Amino acid sequence: MDRGPLARTRARRRRSQFGYAVILARRELRGGIAGFRVFLACLVLGVGAIAATGSLGAAVEAGIRGDAQALLGGDVSARLAYRPSSAAERQFLAASGTLSETARLRAMARSLDGARHTLIELQAVDDAYPLYGTVALTPPQPLAAALAPRNGVFGAVAEAAVASRLGLKLGDAFRIGEAVLRLSAIIESEPDRAFAGLSFGPRVTISHPAVAATGLIRPGALVTYDYRLRLLPKGAGWSDAASWTRAARTAFPEAGWQLRSGADASPALQRLIDRVGFFLNLAGITALLVGGVGIGNAVAGYVAGKTAAIATLKCLGASSRLVFAAYFAQILALALLGIAVGLLVGGVAPALVAPLVKGLLPVSLRLGVYPLPLAIAGLCGVLTLLVFALWPLAAIGQVSPAALFRDRVAPAARHFAPLAAAGSAAAALALAALIVLTATDRRIALWYVAGALAAFVLFSIAGALVVAAARLLPRPGRPLLRLALGNLHRPGAPTARIVLSLGIGLSVMSALALVEGNLGIEIESRLAERAPADFFIDIQPDQLPGFEEIVRAAPGASFEQVPMLRGRITRLNGTPVEAAKVAPEAQWALRSDRGLTYSATLPEGSRLAAGAWWPADYRGPPLVSFDADLARGMGLGLGDTLTVNLLGRDITARIANLRQIDWARLGINFVLVFAPGTLEAAPQTHLAAVYATPAAEEGVVRRVTERFPNVSAIPVREALAAVARVVATIGTAIRLVALVTLASGILVLGGAVAAGHRRRVYDAVVLKVLGATRGALGLAFLIEHGLVGLLTALVAAGLGTVAAHALVTGPLKSEWVFLPAPLLTIAGVAVLLTLAIGFAGTWRALGAKPAAYLRNE
Amino acid sequence: MAPAETRPCDQVDHPVLPGSALALLDDVALTLASAAGPVEILRGVSLAIAPGETVALVGPSGSGKTSLLMVLAGLERPTSGRVILAGQDLGALDENGLARLRRRHIGIVFQAFHLLPTMSALENVAIPLELAGARAALATAEAALARVGLGHRLGHYPGQLSGGEQQRVALARAFVAGPVLLLADEPTGNLDSATGRVVIECLFEEHARRGSGLLLITHEAGLAERCDRQLHLEDGRIVAERRGAPGQLRAL
Repeated sequence: MDRGPLARTRARRRRSQFGYAVILARRELRGGIAGFRVFLACLVLGVGAIAATGSLGAAVEAGIRGDAQALLGGDVSARLAYRPSSAAERQFLAASGTLSETARLRAMARSLDGARHTLIELQAVDDAYPLYGTVALTPPQPLAAALAPRNGVFGAVAEAAVASRLGLKLGDAFRIGEAVLRLSAIIESEPDRAFAGLSFGPRVTISHPAVAATGLIRPGALVTYDYRLRLLPKGAGWSDAASWTRAARTAFPEAGWQLRSGADASPALQRLIDRVGFFLNLAGITALLVGGVGIGNAVAGYVAGKTAAIATLKCLGASSRLVFAAYFAQILALALLGIAVGLLVGGVAPALVAPLVKGLLPVSLRLGVYPLPLAIAGLCGVLTLLVFALWPLAAIGQVSPAALFRDRVAPAARHFAPLAAAGSAAAALALAALIVLTATDRRIALWYVAGALAAFVLFSIAGALVVAAARLLPRPGRPLLRLALGNLHRPGAPTARIVLSLGIGLSVMSALALVEGNLGIEIESRLAERAPADFFIDIQPDQLPGFEEIVRAAPGASFEQVPMLRGRITRLNGTPVEAAKVAPEAQWALRSDRGLTYSATLPEGSRLAAGAWWPADYRGPPLVSFDADLARGMGLGLGDTLTVNLLGRDITARIANLRQIDWARLGINFVLVFAPGTLEAAPQTHLAAVYATPAAEEGVVRRVTERFPNVSAIPVREALAAVARVVATIGTAIRLVALVTLASGILVLGGAVAAGHRRRVYDAVVLKVLGATRGALGLAFLIEHGLVGLLTALVAAGLGTVAAHALVTGPLKSEWVFLPAPLLTIAGVAVLLTLAIGFAGTWRALGAKPAAYLRNE
Repeated sequence: MAPAETRPCDQVDHPVLPGSALALLDDVALTLASAAGPVEILRGVSLAIAPGETVALVGPSGSGKTSLLMVLAGLERPTSGRVILAGQDLGALDENGLARLRRRHIGIVFQAFHLLPTMSALENVAIPLELAGARAALATAEAALARVGLGHRLGHYPGQLSGGEQQRVALARAFVAGPVLLLADEPTGNLDSATGRVVIECLFEEHARRGSGLLLITHEAGLAERCDRQLHLEDGRIVAERRGAPGQLRAL
C-alpha cells in the first residue's frame, strides 16, 4: 500500500520520538533504582514462584517419562482384578516377551503367639520379578535368596513397619493366613512402588509358593494380578508397546484387564503431579497478583516524585506521549530485570528442592532448563506489570507544566484515563486467558480467575470501608492517637492497599483454618462416633456363621454384612467408557475396580433419588441401582444400561433407580447395587462392618483373624487417620499457597511503610520540636500500624469465615462450627506482623535529627 | 529612646550570671560532618538573652543563623560550649529531656510553617498543651487562634489555609503554652509583604502581651530595627552588635 509523504514523515518522527524516549529513560535511570526495591522483589517472588513450580513440574514429568519402565515394572502391564489370567490370556502374554506375574491382596500378619496383628499389603512375586530396577533390601541380598524356603520355612521381606508392629527381628517367624514365614530382610525400596494413594498397610513380599501356603487366595478373594512384560521387539499384530495394548484389547475384548504402557505408567502419580503442580502454579500467580499492588504503588510513588521533572520536560516542549514513553521504558527495563532474576531463581529452584522431594516421589527429577514454564512465567510477569503499572503511569499525562509555577498545594484530583484503563483491562484479560489456557484443569482455572477478581474487588471495597471508618470515628483527644488515626485516612494513605494486599493472604489462611478445624471435628468426633470399629473383608460364605457367632459373643457389638464382588464398569449405554463423555468428578468410578453387591431391599444410608426399588422377590433381567451423582456425571438416567465386567464376563444391567448415598456415615456403601437374581452364583466374599467399643473390638479382631486367617480386618480408626493425613497434606499445600501470597503482601506492606517514611520523619520532627518524646512518638506509630493490622485481620477474618462457611456447608456437606481460636491466632499474627514491619520502618524516623529537616530550603 | 550604646561583644558576654539571663550561649562551636569534610558552622558564639528582650539575628545566608537557633532550642547539640536555658544546662539533658524543656519553655516559628497536614488548625495549636497533659487544651487553643484573628478557621486543615493564615496558626501554636522564649526563623520569608506585616504585628503583640524573650532571624532591616538588639552573624561568629534603634552598627 502506498503511503503519502506526510504519513511517512509522521512515521519517521514517531520512530525518532521512540528513540529519544529510550535516551531519556536511560538518563533518568542514572538516578538509581533504590525506590524500586519492593517493585523488583514483588516481580522476583511472583515470577520466580511461577517459574519454579512450572520447572519443578516439568522435571517431575520428565522423571516419570524417564522412569516409566521402572514405575510400571515392565514395558507393558496387564492388570486383572479378582481373577488370574485364563490359559489363553496367559499364553498370549507369555508369547509377547518375558513375563513377570505378581498378585496383590490385603491380609493380616500375626505374631506367632497371635498377640500382635497388623493389616498388610501382601505381594506374591515370581523369579522374573522385577523386570526393571531392583528391590533394595537390608541386609543386602538378592530378592530370590531372601524369599527362598529355608528348613521348610518360606522367606518374606517386609517394610520396617511390619517388623515394628509385630515386634519382629530379622530371622523371626510370623504368620500370614495359614502359613508361617521367616522375616529375612527389610524392604528399603521397590522399583514399581509408585504413588499408591491411600494405602492402609505396609508391604510384605513373598513367593508364589508361599502365598499358596497361606491359603488366602480363594474364590472371590480381593486379589489383584499384575502381568508385566519385557516385550519382544515385535510380535503378531504389534510392533511397540502402544500397538501391543491395542492387539491385547482386540484379542481379548472381554478380559476386563487394565492395559498400560510406558506412556501412562502411573496415571495416579501423573494426576497427583498435575494437580499439585497446578495448585502450586496458582499459588505463584496469586503471589504475583498481590505483588502487583506493590508494583503499582512503586510506580505511582516514582511518578509522583518525578512531577517536577515531568513538568520541566513538558515546559521544554516534550509531548505527553514522549514523556510517557520515556517513563514506560524505564519501568519496563526494570521489570524485565526483575523478571529475568525471577526466571533465574525459578529455573534453579528445582535443583535446590530435588534433595527434599527425593523420598516423597517414586521417580527422580530430570533437572534441566524447561523453556515452556519459563516462558509462561515471564509472560505472566509482563502482563501483571501492564495490569498494575499502566494506570499510575497515566498520571504522567495529567501533570501540567504549570505545576512548576504553582505552590505545591493539594494535588489536583486525577481525571479518568480511558486509554490506561483500557490497556490495564486488556492486559488483565490476556493474563486470565494465559492462566486458563495453560491450566491442566481449565474449569478450576476459570473459578480461580473469577475468585481472584472477586477477591480484588471485595478487598478494595473493604479497604475503602476501613479508610472511611477511620475518617468517621470520633477524633481522639490525645494528639498522638489523633495522629495515628489521621494517618490511616489522610489523602494518599496506603491503608486501603495494605488491606488489599495483606488481606488476601490472611483471609485464605483464615478460611483454611476454619475449614480444617471443621473437617477435624467432623472426622475426629462425628465420624468416629457413628463409624464402625472395623471392616472385615474376604469373609468366605461358609465362614459367615462362625463370624456371626464371634461378633454376637462380644458384649455390645453389632454388625452389618453384605455379599461383595468386584468389577469394572466397561460400557455406558453400550459405549466403551474410553469413548464416553464423562464429567471429571465422575471419572474416579471408572478408573479401577468397584466393589459391588446385590440386595433385595434399599441399603441403609441410602435414599432413593429417582425410580423405584425392585420387589424383594425380583427375578428378571439384570437391574442395577446406581449412585445419583455418578449417574449425572456419566450422563446416565433411569432405563439406561451399564456394563460391568465381572471375572472376565460382561454383565449388562438396566438402571432401575438412582440413590443418594450418605458417604459420611462410613458404613457399608456401594455405588452399584444389583437386583437379586444376577450375581448370586458368582464367586463372592462377604464384607462386614462391626460396631463395637474399643475394648470389645480388640477381642473380636483377634478371635476372627485367629479362626479365619484369610479374613482381614481394616481398622476404621486407622482409615480415618489416613483420611486425616490426606486432609492435612492438602491443608499444608493450601497453607503454602497462603504463605507465598502472604509473603507478597508483606512486601507490599514493607513498600508502603517505606513510601511513608518521609512523611513520618516530618511528623516526628515537628512533634519533637513541640516537645513530644521519642517514646510517645513510637507509641503513636505503633498504634497506627497495629490498627492497620487489626482492621486488616478483622476484614480477613470476616471474609474468611464467609468463605469457609460456604465451603463447609456447601461442597463438604458438613455441619458448621465457628472456631474463634484460629481466627484470633491469625489476627494476632497479622497485628504482630504489621507492628514488626511498621516498627522496622519507623525506627529511623524516630531517631531523625530535627535540625536537618527544619532548615529553610 | 536612649542613644545607641555600643561595646565590644566579649564584654557583653563575659561573665554573665546564669540567674539574670533567660538564655545563655557560652563559647558555642558547632562543627558538622559533610561529604567534603567537617564544616565549622559556629565558631565560638557567646550570647545572653534577658527576659522580655527582643533580639534580631541578621547576616548573610550560610552564616549560621539557623544553626544558632537550633542549638538554642536543643535541636542541635553544640560541638563545644555551654547552652543554658531557663536555668537548665542543655548539655545535661537527653533527647526526651530536651523535648520536655521545649514543651515547657520554648516556642518556635519556622519560615515553612511546619504544621501537621493531618490535623486541623485547632488541633495543631493544641498539640503542645496536649503533650504537656494540660486541661482544657482545645479551649485554650481556640482562644489563641482567636487572638491571631483565626477564630473562624478552627476546623480548617493546613492545606485549606493561605500561607499567612498557616503562619498565624504556627504563631498561635508557638505561643499557646506560654513559653519564656520564642524563636522565629524568618517567619515572613515565605509570605508577601502585606501578609508578612500582619504576621509580624501578631508576633510582636503576643510577645508584648506575654513578656517572653524573642530571638528573630530576619533579612529585613526594618524588622531587625524593631528589636532591642541586633546581632550580626558572619561565618559562624557574631561580628557586630547594635543596641537600640536607630543606632549605628559597630564592628567588632
